[in-house]
Amino acid sequence: MKALFQKTPRWILVVLGLAIFGLARASFEDRMREEMVASSLLLPPPARDAIQQMSQSALMGTLGGLRTLVSSYLVLEAFGHFSNKEWEDLRRSYAIITSLEPRDENHWRDVVWHLGINATANMEIDESIPEFERKRRFNEYALLAVDLAEQGIEQNPESSIIRQQLAEVYREKLKDYCATARVYKELVDLPGAPQYSDRFVGYFLAKCPGREREAYDHLRRLYYEGEYNHTASLIVEIKNLEEKFDILPALRIPDPYPDLPGPAPRQP
Amino acid sequence: MSESTTTLRAPAREVPLFSIRRVWTLAISTLTQLVRMKTFYFLFAFAVLLLAIGNFNFASSPAQALSTVKKVSFGAMDLFAWLFAIVATALLIPRDLEDRTLYTILSKPVRRIEYLLGKLCGVLIVIGISLSVMFVVCAGMIQWKEAGYIAEEIGTTENQITEETRQAILLIQKNGFHPELAIATLASFMKAAVVASVTILLSTFASSSLFTIIISVLVFLVGHAHTMATNFWLAESDNSIVVQMLLKLFKIVIPNFQIFSFSEGIVQGATVMPAAIWQMAGLTGAYLVVFMLLSLLTFVDKEF
Repeated sequence: MKALFQKTPRWILVVLGLAIFGLARASFEDRMREEMVASSLLLPPPARDAIQQMSQSALMGTLGGLRTLVSSYLVLEAFGHFSNKEWEDLRRSYAIITSLEPRDENHWRDVVWHLGINATANMEIDESIPEFERKRRFNEYALLAVDLAEQGIEQNPESSIIRQQLAEVYREKLKDYCATARVYKELVDLPGAPQYSDRFVGYFLAKCPGREREAYDHLRRLYYEGEYNHTASLIVEIKNLEEKFDILPALRIPDPYPDLPGPAPRQP
Repeated sequence: MSESTTTLRAPAREVPLFSIRRVWTLAISTLTQLVRMKTFYFLFAFAVLLLAIGNFNFASSPAQALSTVKKVSFGAMDLFAWLFAIVATALLIPRDLEDRTLYTILSKPVRRIEYLLGKLCGVLIVIGISLSVMFVVCAGMIQWKEAGYIAEEIGTTENQITEETRQAILLIQKNGFHPELAIATLASFMKAAVVASVTILLSTFASSSLFTIIISVLVFLVGHAHTMATNFWLAESDNSIVVQMLLKLFKIVIPNFQIFSFSEGIVQGATVMPAAIWQMAGLTGAYLVVFMLLSLLTFVDKEF
């Protein structure tokens, strides 16, 4: 045995040792990897599309376990595209960034903000582009932002900041108040959701055709929930809906129309 | 005459098979050797990088800025740890050979495993000190920036803190400093320890430091791309049996470094599971033991 050990080239013994150890650890490592991916401790491998889009250096960085560094560098690059209003390049950069770090909600929020708010705003004012093209791109960027926000929510189901940004796109750019109300409703019970989310559900339901009654009931419930909800906007919205539905005076809320800046509210 | 010689000769002391003290002495001498190579100068570069990234004004929000500072600094720490583990370990044995220190050491009652362990421990001590210093600097920087952003948010409100300000502060705190980040540093240390043990094994075979460094970096990259490459190649080759066999071979021979990258998840705010950390520590220990034994296998009767 000893003679055989001495006669066998050492590299064969080393490879044999590596193989035995490899076989012993493989299943344990696979299980550990799955557990850690499930608990978000490890990042899932980037999608094939992202690998194919990556430059050589980015790919090397990713292979070398420098995903966070590569994505931070790409965020810097994307900021350059934002400064130069290069929206297509920005979109490509974020496609890689979000693929490298799908669980970082900040990236999703940022790309939705860039495309849904900044790119669309740029399309509203950039007179170097023909109007029909501006309108087409405005819609394209806004819908792309919605699509990206939904992908981000799929990856980060508990994210409130992605939903806040999505609601802003629906509210400010697409003027889709029914969708805005739906997103705020999703926000209400999430950790880190703004306190105003529940009130906003009512405000935007009130603007959603056919759901005004639902809005009235919702806002009334909030009003009677506590004084902390007696904000000027809530009172104005309830009073407008009371007018709309011709609610009996006895059933109306006791507050008068509050003094609000801007044009005078409708008086009964 | 012969009688007096016999009485003067002291009985030969029995040399213990293994001595922690000898390993420690070798580790400390390796530490001194690495300090003389000015390895800690890297810390200045790290501090400059932190200052630079902390002062870039590209983020869309304070939370995003803090997240970037954290990611870049912990990414740099991880990079330093594994790169240093490869380069320092690859340089040590050839340098001892070049300086002829190796002959002096091995001619004394020092076991070869003690020599290898001493070298590994020396490298790990330097990595441990560097990571600890970088962690302290990084924690200070993040906390300082976090406090600044919170003060800024509070400063924007005139009388009382509004709901929006409270939300902004919560978001800043979520992306700011957390004690769990120390575990992320530990994860980088574990990865570096495994890399160093792999490099020691390669350096017992190799004829030059350059060869060891190149092969170690290659092993590291391949070991890091296990899952990614497996998915990619299998899809590209339509699950060919040859590719599957090759991938299996890679998987059992090359260490899986990807699972040691859990510092990325912690930096991004994932909840730390103590059981997983203990299991990873155990796996690191297993890697160290196996690779040291395999290194000994080639080093034990190597002629210099």
